[in-house]
Amino acid sequence: MTDQLAYQVTIEELAALMKRTAGVHVEPETLRAQADDGFDTFGLDSLGLLGIVAELEKRYGLGLPEQAERCKTPADFLALINGALKTGV
Amino acid sequence: MSGRQRTNEGGRRAVVTGLGVVSPHGVGVEAHWKATADGTSSLGPVTREGCEAMPLRVAGEVRGFEAAETVEERYLVQTDRFTHFALSAAQFALDDARFGRADVESPYSVGVVTAAGSGGGEFGQRELQNLWGQGSRYVGPYQSIAWFYAASTGQVSIRNDFKGPCGVVAADEAGGLDALAHAALAVRGGTDTVVCGATEAPLAPYSIVCQLGYPELSRSAEPDRAYRPFTGAACGFAPAEGGAVLIVEDERAALERGADARATVAGHAATFTGAGRWAESREGLARAIRGALAEAGCRPEEVDVVFADALGVPEADRAEALALADALGAHAARVPVTAPKTGTGRAYCAAPVLDVATAVLAMEHGLIPPTPNVFEVDHELDLVTGRARPAEPRTALVLSRGLMGSNSALVLRRGGSAPAAN
Repeated sequence: MTDQLAYQVTIEELAALMKRTAGVHVEPETLRAQADDGFDTFGLDSLGLLGIVAELEKRYGLGLPEQAERCKTPADFLALINGALKTGV
Repeated sequence: MSGRQRTNEGGRRAVVTGLGVVSPHGVGVEAHWKATADGTSSLGPVTREGCEAMPLRVAGEVRGFEAAETVEERYLVQTDRFTHFALSAAQFALDDARFGRADVESPYSVGVVTAAGSGGGEFGQRELQNLWGQGSRYVGPYQSIAWFYAASTGQVSIRNDFKGPCGVVAADEAGGLDALAHAALAVRGGTDTVVCGATEAPLAPYSIVCQLGYPELSRSAEPDRAYRPFTGAACGFAPAEGGAVLIVEDERAALERGADARATVAGHAATFTGAGRWAESREGLARAIRGALAEAGCRPEEVDVVFADALGVPEADRAEALALADALGAHAARVPVTAPKTGTGRAYCAAPVLDVATAVLAMEHGLIPPTPNVFEVDHELDLVTGRARPAEPRTALVLSRGLMGSNSALVLRRGGSAPAAN
């Protein structure tokens, strides 16, 4: 099961992706503390989230569920992504 | 003066309260005006990445522009250089007009109108190279918005939360003047404020290749010879990047918040005479001038300065000189004419908007800037060359033609309805 643990996207990685693909700078601690707030409160729009999904798909070489790009909060997004990565969908 | 009556219908007048400039002369109104008044030329070799080996050798590049000084990173990541210019110029213009959050009565009271002719070529090229080089997964989602003509209007609206009437004029170079007319119309129709202008960034490899087919493009490799309209040495025009954004407001709304009415957008008209048909542009431009004067309620003799289109193609220059004679009569040979764009190059839709900003500054400074690199004029025009000419222009006529056949004229009056202070 250790290789699956490596497939978990952390809040730090999400913060880094938000900065790199969408230019949105949020400290990981802030993102963790406000993980149930909408992405829009951080200034990330739907195209920004789409870009993050595309980056993750490239990184892990698999397609992620369509709902991923419609997640409203970091908590929902990580739960969905990490669930999908675990099952390898 | 029925034209003026029409302008004042409903008692609303569209006035200019702020200017924002990003030009080859410099970033900001001050740097632009100083070089313009000095008659400096900022044309130079094309140095943008990937453009060095192109057959286009001379252009007006914007140097020393740091978008991040004005605009948040998330807007920059999502947008092309032409929108970086627009976002910055819009912010400069809002600052210049001292128009802040507190002045926004409702987000719906502020609109945004831009003109664009080149789009986001640099961004678009990068993403298309990713597509064909690596595959569709490597194309970022912002490609879907960044290279469109509409990108700058959208991003200026989003960044500032302006939800009033927004639009994009894609009508060739002269569309820059048409955008100002749209803004004035929106203001007269009830919108308090419109952020209006044009910026272009056509100095990227893909964008340059698109321009290489224009017979009007100057191939000269010498910056002081590449763009010399109205002379026997005219050999086309040098393109440029950058542009200007103006704050166009209802005069009463401006006065209520303590802002100065620096100029009035008094009249405008546009015609179309077909791509590259320069001889025919004579009639089209003359009709546009007459239409703009009529809307402004302005007699030809009242025009104190003309900012010429000045394409730099002999046939087109001749057509413009004749159009002025047709529309202004004997006054055409007396009125000072200038083309400061020979010092910056033509930034397509942004060229006439930059001229409008320069015209406002010229009226305020009492100085008609010269036409750099132009010395001996072949036409019956009083072209201001060499040094700036002291004057007290109160009415400026700005002309623009596009390579695809559009012709527009815009009349600006100094100040608002009350006499302007000197």
